[in-house]
This record gives sequence, structure tokens and C-alpha cells, in this order.
Amino acid sequence: MGFWRKYVFSIDHKVIGIQYAVTGLLFLSCGFCLMMLMRWQLAYPGQPIPFIGSWLGDTRAPGGIMLPDFYNQLGAMHGTIMVFLGVVPLAVGGFGNFVLPLQIGAVDMAFPKLNMISYWCLFVGGVIMLGSFFLPGGAAQSGWTSYAPLADIAPTGQTAWLFGMIFLITSSLLGSMNFIVTTIQLRAKGLTFFRLPFFVWAQFVTSFLLLLAFPPLEAAGVLQLMDRLAGTSFFLPTGLVVSGEILQVSGGGSPLLWQHLFWFLAHPEVYVLILPAMGIVAEIIANNTRKPLWGYRSMVYSVIVLGFLSFVVWAHHMFITGMGTVMSSFFQTTTMIMSIPSVILLSCLFISLYGASIRFNTPMLFALAFLPMFGIGGLTGLPLGLSAPDIALHDTYYVIGHFHYIVAPGTIFALFAGIYYWFPKATGRRMSEFLGKLHFWPSLIFMNGVFMPMFIQGFAGVSRRLADGGVTYSFAGNVTPLNRMMSWSAWGLALAQLPFIINFFMSMRSGVKVGNNPWHATTLEWQAPSPPPHGNFTQDIVVSHGPYEYSVPGQKEDFLPQNQPAEA
Amino acid sequence: MRNSLFPLKKTSHLAATLIVAAALAGPTFAGSITGTVKYDGPVPASMKRPLRMDADPGCAMKHTDPVLPEGLVLGEGQTLGNVFVQIKSGLPDKEYPVPTEPVVLDQNGCKYSPHVIGLMVNQPFKILNSDGLLHNVHSLPKINTGFNRAMPGAVKEAEFKFSKPEFMFKVKCDVHPWMGAYIAVMSHPYFMVTGPDGKFTIDGLAPGTYEIEVWQEKLKTKSATVTIAGDEAQTADFTFTPPQRKK
Repeated sequence: MGFWRKYVFSIDHKVIGIQYAVTGLLFLSCGFCLMMLMRWQLAYPGQPIPFIGSWLGDTRAPGGIMLPDFYNQLGAMHGTIMVFLGVVPLAVGGFGNFVLPLQIGAVDMAFPKLNMISYWCLFVGGVIMLGSFFLPGGAAQSGWTSYAPLADIAPTGQTAWLFGMIFLITSSLLGSMNFIVTTIQLRAKGLTFFRLPFFVWAQFVTSFLLLLAFPPLEAAGVLQLMDRLAGTSFFLPTGLVVSGEILQVSGGGSPLLWQHLFWFLAHPEVYVLILPAMGIVAEIIANNTRKPLWGYRSMVYSVIVLGFLSFVVWAHHMFITGMGTVMSSFFQTTTMIMSIPSVILLSCLFISLYGASIRFNTPMLFALAFLPMFGIGGLTGLPLGLSAPDIALHDTYYVIGHFHYIVAPGTIFALFAGIYYWFPKATGRRMSEFLGKLHFWPSLIFMNGVFMPMFIQGFAGVSRRLADGGVTYSFAGNVTPLNRMMSWSAWGLALAQLPFIINFFMSMRSGVKVGNNPWHATTLEWQAPSPPPHGNFTQDIVVSHGPYEYSVPGQKEDFLPQNQPAEA
Repeated sequence: MRNSLFPLKKTSHLAATLIVAAALAGPTFAGSITGTVKYDGPVPASMKRPLRMDADPGCAMKHTDPVLPEGLVLGEGQTLGNVFVQIKSGLPDKEYPVPTEPVVLDQNGCKYSPHVIGLMVNQPFKILNSDGLLHNVHSLPKINTGFNRAMPGAVKEAEFKFSKPEFMFKVKCDVHPWMGAYIAVMSHPYFMVTGPDGKFTIDGLAPGTYEIEVWQEKLKTKSATVTIAGDEAQTADFTFTPPQRKK
């Protein structure tokens, strides 16, 4: 195989997985940089951005002082990049592609070429998104939600956002079909559904969410494109007044339709962000507690129920649109019901720790931190799921705090856990434990430094959309000093990632060499060589038992790989 | 010898330069049109009601006296300010030099100053933020490319240009809905805006017959035809009356 076929246009799931992961990590750091710029503006509004302010140009930051329009661009693109180009590619594209076929004993994905196309669609979508910053009027600036009619009349960057999203959605749809078919068709002999590792279940359900939830947004994206380019009015109402003048459009459209179509995707999308993370955490907890997962079957049922329910809760994002108390009652009821499987999942993971002799290695530390952080994120979501408190909290920093606890110290910690855990499989070398812990502890502290004060600001009523952090609003006076604490925490968080970056590259070259199964794990990926060759396994895989046979009484070792029969 | 010749040479250079410059600039004319614009009618109640700026305490604090709207600015004797006066037709069809100094629009006291502006195509248009408050300058042209530039308190200056002639479009602040100004982008320099005394003078006109038009934001336009025979000053006065209500 030539260089291009092997490393660039590869059809090997492991290379594609690594391509996804590296792309996802790069976009995560890109989205993080956008956020750090925003945090400067929030902490020091009206003051020139140090070091790079003068490079941003007069249309973005004249004299280095950030314009609110540019702040809006950063906000919209931070959300878009983090969700669609950072977390999803890393969690689903990266870990899913690399780990899932190995964990089910497959030689590759069901459709390797489709897999390659899926990655390159993501790549093109990402390039379009980043390139949109250089368009006249800048990148999209109507929030990551692109609410109509604001987005319909926004500058050209919004058109690029829509084109980019169409590529990203196409990528996810192709990928999800591949995962579903692979999981159903390519499981090793003896690997029944209830012998699948929980990570595979999580990816399997996630793929259904992507497959069923994304098409409405793709359709909505095309409709918004037509509103912007073809003069239609799908989301533009009659008599819409823009800047004091009636907009000359045919009208008759519904801005609320966009919100329904968007949230029909975006709420399942939340579970797309969280389920693979739970899958990763479950694997690492089982491995490092040296016990089977507590309640594996109830976890599987919960994740399936969660997948179904995630399609009937979307309008809890829309309580204040005036859609009526009957609809609000329905959606708040489904939302409350959905907390049950979520609590089952988290409880199972917590109970799995009970009585265990825990190995506190770096992946386990990140996995353990995930549990309370996700817990805080989940519990703070309950008031938002009830329409009465949501009226007060909607669009405040409370909401930002809530979902960032889910996806930042929640999902992203789980993704770090996964990187530390599967790094030896991908490279044959282990990452440094010292640098790993140097990465973990400051990250944990700074993450909370960034997001915990957001709850306080939210309760004080500070809107999430203010480009100046609320300094011009007298009611926010008591809580605006928290902005500086949050910003310094964010910059501290950036510094805390340096040990990870150093560790990542250093360990690739000079990490301690390890064997095929350095964690003494039971699942099938550890039965392949590290790194696995093209085709993955050097022996036939026949599975004889469940995924977490740790500390089985009467066995010589405290782990029994899925393909090894128990000793009599 | 050299020393005595040098001043002579310098003088001849200067003279030559002046001759060439005069030839390039074309002939200068002294014809002009002067006049006064007045308003004959009652002042509508909406123009006597002070603006409410208390939505932004930063704006309200900048004024101790009530601030009246600028839609009908009257001087002594019902003279009318903020009237845009221009030569509508009759000018030779040629390209006029564009001034390099910018036309300035200031945001001061949460008002635009001046309220009506004329500038030439591609003439620099500088916007100041003397208030030190968050404003956004939203231009609403139909022919030119519009802009919507937010100016936080710390951003004191922004500069734009308009590339096509366009008569009268609004500039507004979306933060402070009472703020509005009007801009005319002209292809020639024969225009001006009256002060409260309602007086105007448009000079430098060659002999010819011109249509002169006056525009006021509420009272719309009036025009007159004026013929200039030589280096003379012609007069054209205008009186606006309140618009007739449709029955």
C-alpha cells in the first residue's frame, strides 16, 4: 500500500479512527481557543486582547478590542466546532471506529470505503466551517442553534455554516449506518448481543440516534439555505420587521418550525455526546475495579430506553416559546421519565465501585471524575426540564453551566480516559502516569473553576448572550467579578492541557513498550496485537462468555478474556 | 551668477505649475444659488415630546435638559434646519474630484451629530463614539452595501466608504431606537445641509439652468428651476407646509 492509501485515503478502520480522533482533538483545541478569546472579552470587556488582538483585523477587533459581532461569531462557532467537529468525531468517529470492530472481533467495518468517505465528508465540513471566518461579515453568528429568523437574515457566514453542516450530517449518517451494520453483522462467533461490551452497546444506540435524528436537521438546513439563497420563506413570517423596516419576503413561514426541527436533532445529539462517554467509562471502571459491571443488563436496557426517550423530549428546550401548557406538560413529563434510565446508568457505575480494590491509574481517575461531574450536569438539568423554573433560568448562564458539566468535565474527561486507556492498543506504548496525573488534577480543579460560578451567575439572571459579561447591567453587578475567576480558570485549564500534549507526543516515540494486554482486560480488543495489524487479529476469535469476567473464582488470573474458555 | 538665477528659476517653476494646475482643474465659476428654507405650519405634538432615553441610564445621564426629536428643527422665524439641498439636474456630466478628508458622524449624547449628512462617492465616512457607550451603527442603503457595526464604549472610531451614488438612506442604532440619521451619497459636490437658520448657498456653478431640490425627512421634497447667466448669485427660497392628511 502506498503512503496515500495507507495514511490519507485509508480504508482501515483503525487508521480512519485515528484520523477522526486527531481531527477531533485539533478541533477541540480550536474550539477551546475561540472560547479563551471569548473569556477575555467577558473578563475584561473593552480592553484590547493581549498578544493576538492586533492580528484579528479591524472588522473583528479594531485596536485589539473585540467587537460584539465577532464575539457572537466566536460563540456560534465554539458551540458548532465543539459539538459537531470535536466531541462527535472523537467520541463516535474516533473511539467508535478504532475500538468497536476490535471489541466485536471483526476484521474491519462492514463498509470500509463508506467509512473513508464518511471521514472526508467531516474533513470538508470542517474546512468550510473554519474558512467561514474569512468571509465578508465573518462566520455564522446566530448561535450554534442558528435560530430563524435571525439566521435567515444573517451575513454570508451563515450560508457557509449550512453547507458545512450538510457535509457534517452526511458524514454522521454514513458513519452511523456503518456502525449499525457492523455491530449486527460482523460480531465474532459466540458474541451474542448480551455478551457485547457496554461500549459497543453505547455506540450502537448512538448510531441509531444519529441515523434517525440528523435527517430532520439536514432537511431543515436545506430549507434555511433556500430561505437565504432561493427567496423562499420556510422560516420567515409575513410582516417580519428588521431594523424598523418590513422585510420584503413572501412570508408565511414559521420560525418555530426551525426550532422544532433543530431540537429534534439536538436533543438526541446530547445523548450522542454522552453515551459513547458512558461506554468508555464503563469499560475503564470494570477494568480498574477488577469486577464485572454492576447491573450490566439494566445498563443495556437503560441505554436503549434512553435512546428511545431522547426522541420525545426535544421541546423542553422551547418552554418559553409559548407553545402552550399541554405541550409543556407532555414534554416535561417525558423529560422527568428520561431521568430514570440516566440515574440507573450512573447508579450502576457508582455501585460498581463498591467493595472494589480500585486501581487509581490515569484513565481511572478521569473515569471516576466523570461520575460526579456528569451527576452535577444531570441534576442541574432537572430544573430546566420543568417549565416553571425554566422560565426563569432559560438563556442564563445556568444553562451554560448545566450542559458544560455534561460535556466538558463529563464527556471530555471520559474521552481523555479513553485516550489514556486505549493509547497502548493504538501505539504499543503506554502514556506517562506522572504526566497523566499532572494533567488530571489541575484539569479537574480548573474545570470546576470555569463552570461552577456559572450557576451563581445564572441564578442572578445573567443572560448567556451578553458580549460584555453583563457589566452594563446593574442587576449583574454582584456576580460579574466571577467572570475573571472563570476566565483565569479557563486559561489555567489551557495550561493544564500541556502535560497531556507533551505526554501524547512523547509517549508515541518513547513511552514504555507494553504487550497486547497491559491493563489485564477481558474484552476482545486486547487479544489483538498492539498496534493491531491490517485485519486485526492473528487468531480466530470465538467468544465463550460475557465481557467483564474479572476476579472469577477458581481462575489463575483475575481476568478471563472473552475468547478464552474458563479453566475447569 | 548662479545665485542670481536660482530665484528666477524657482519663480518660473511655480508659475508653470500654477498654469498646469489651472488647466487641469478646468475653469472656475462664481455663479451661486442662495436661499432660505422655512416651515409654515404648526409643530406636531410628536416633535415637541422629549425623547425618553431612560431605557439606557448611560444616555439619560448625559442630558440635564429635555432632548427633543430632530425630525423638525426650527430656527427663529420658522426657518428649517436639517434640510438637504442639492443640485438635482443641470450639472455637466463629468467626474468630480472626491475630497480626501472624511465626513464625520458622531454619536454624542445618544444622538447622531449631524442628523443629516451628505458625502461623495468613495469619500471617507468616519463614525465616532464620543459617548463611550455601546452603540451600533446600522446603515440601511438599498444600492450600496450596508453595514451593521457594533461600537462598544471602548471602540471610538470606525471608517467606511460608499461606492455608489444613493440619495437618502437611514442610519440607525439598534441599541437606542430613537437614534437615527440620514445619509445622501452624491456623485457631485453641489449640496449642503441647512442649519437652524434655514440658509443655504451652493456656489461654484457655471452658467446654466439647474434644478435645485430641497429634502426634509418628514416633509419630503420641493424643487425649483434656477438659471445662472454668469458670475451671479441667484436666490431660491422654499417654504414647506405640513403634509395633507389622506381623507
